[in-house]
Amino acid sequence: MTGFSLGGLVDGALNLLDVFDPIVEPYRRFHEQLPPKIQQTITAFIFILPFGILYAIFTILPIFQTFYISLHKWEIMGTNIRFIGLKNFERLLTRDTQFHQAFEQTVLFVALTIPIIFVGLFFALMLNRPVKGIGIFRTIFYLPNIIAVTVIGLIWARVFASSGRGLINAFLEQFNAGPIPFLDQGDLATLVVSFTTLWWTVGFSMLIFLAGLQDISQALYDAAKVDGANRFEQFRHITIPGLRRPFAFLCILQVIASFQIFGQVDVMTGGGPAGNTRTIVYNIFETTFLYFQVGYGTAMAVIMFAVLLVISLIQLALFRDQGVGN
Amino acid sequence: MTVVGAELQRKRQKALRRQGSLYVLAVGIFALIWMLPVVWTVVTSFRPEPALQRNLASLIPYPFTTENWTFILKSSQLWKWLGNSAFVSTTHTLAQLTVCSLAAYAFARLDFYFKRPLYILVLIGLMVPFEATFLPVYLLFSNLKLHNTLIALILPGISSSFAVFLLTQFFRGIPLELEEAAMMDGAGRFRIFLTIIIPLSTPVITALAIFTFLGNWNSYLWPIISATSSDVYTIVIGLRKLNQAWGDVNFYGRDMAAAIFTALPIIIFFFVFQRRIISGIAINSGIK
Repeated sequence: MTGFSLGGLVDGALNLLDVFDPIVEPYRRFHEQLPPKIQQTITAFIFILPFGILYAIFTILPIFQTFYISLHKWEIMGTNIRFIGLKNFERLLTRDTQFHQAFEQTVLFVALTIPIIFVGLFFALMLNRPVKGIGIFRTIFYLPNIIAVTVIGLIWARVFASSGRGLINAFLEQFNAGPIPFLDQGDLATLVVSFTTLWWTVGFSMLIFLAGLQDISQALYDAAKVDGANRFEQFRHITIPGLRRPFAFLCILQVIASFQIFGQVDVMTGGGPAGNTRTIVYNIFETTFLYFQVGYGTAMAVIMFAVLLVISLIQLALFRDQGVGN
Repeated sequence: MTVVGAELQRKRQKALRRQGSLYVLAVGIFALIWMLPVVWTVVTSFRPEPALQRNLASLIPYPFTTENWTFILKSSQLWKWLGNSAFVSTTHTLAQLTVCSLAAYAFARLDFYFKRPLYILVLIGLMVPFEATFLPVYLLFSNLKLHNTLIALILPGISSSFAVFLLTQFFRGIPLELEEAAMMDGAGRFRIFLTIIIPLSTPVITALAIFTFLGNWNSYLWPIISATSSDVYTIVIGLRKLNQAWGDVNFYGRDMAAAIFTALPIIIFFFVFQRRIISGIAINSGIK
């Protein structure tokens, strides 16, 4: 050991603060005369202040501003601003077919990405064995999850590119088959983006389930074996109930994440073909930064916020009933 | 145990081991297929453009070239973007940890007026998606003329409700006696925070730091609207812009090399912090 210690360093640095004593000391004497709860309130507010300022600027105020802006016809350059009440919402909910399409597309993505949880469960069960060398596969399956969406999207867009400039179609070309218009046809493009999302994020579900599996007591399985339960019965009556909590957790996360799909779409399809993969967030992005209608864009954001809030409240309530909430 | 019994047991273990390695082999083949696009990307980055024009679907890097890679590694732009990413994510992470741990200490340890309503206000942030706030924040930065600066990429998200929540939970679990002893010795709250609470929270702080860093490094929506000039691109955005500029056809191998260049720092980061990441997921997701 060398003489270096982090604690000592911190202590030393703090001692340097003693130079402020002439200013601090009179205040400290005053501070110590105050009732304890007032003392602590002052201290607490000083501790919270940096967070509080940023939180107010970047979270609390913007929520109100989002609602405020959504009641206006508001162009992003800021010259043309006019209060129009709920007209944005009226147009969104009754007439804007593009928004309706984006909403449906988003719900479709949510539905198509729910299977990620089950694939994650499958991977977890596959790797939950005390076999030497199995750990490396956890790493392999999880690794894509921490890579940026631009890299993932670029790779998979090239695997599935519609012409001979895509891996699969170039491969098919050698047998004079194809080309399959993966990204030029709406339904196929939706499936491709969903599959990419699966490949990208399934490792996360896998790790959560693996942690869940390790929490199930081995004694339960031993007892079941003594009672003559076969492997399927053990799975059905011990494993599945034991994984309820991670499952609930992943459901909430997956639905919320899929509702916010943006990056994959922007990188792989640009919302196309013909707006077929345009999601709500992508629609907000286009409305605001392509057509500069920030008022209308925030109205969409408000609707999305409301939907997400309702979803998370429903899910929380549902899962709490089953005793897995908290 | 008889000799025969021992012999039998050895045989059984051997069979089990063989079964185990067969299993690993099967999983290995599956993993290889699962990762085939990555293998293909790496191979493609080492193939010359004319060969790629003739046939893309090959896993054999012959003819072989390092031309794509020398081009990418010589690109001052890519290194600059990498530097931007490193600076932005590091600063963001340090700032978030500082700001949020200070607030969390107050919520965990001090008894003060308005504590409950303030804490609830913080928890409300857990339910607010980024989409509900990012347009006003965008307008704010426009008014302050702060777009296309690194500050604009660092600031949003520093005040994380989740971080405060996680740290508050953890700080509450630290035994009070340690603090009381320090207070007897005349230590102030700030000294206690720095010399007792923070060192005892290393596991949770490390986990939080890793995931904050990753989240900021990989963030896409905010930097793509805020950073529109190439000087301030992060590497993630830079790759996207290069990809758009080069098109799908012309620089296939180069694009693939750029993609790997973008992913590599994070892959290295992953292997350095592997254990912490794997165990941190459970901490970070509140499952444990």
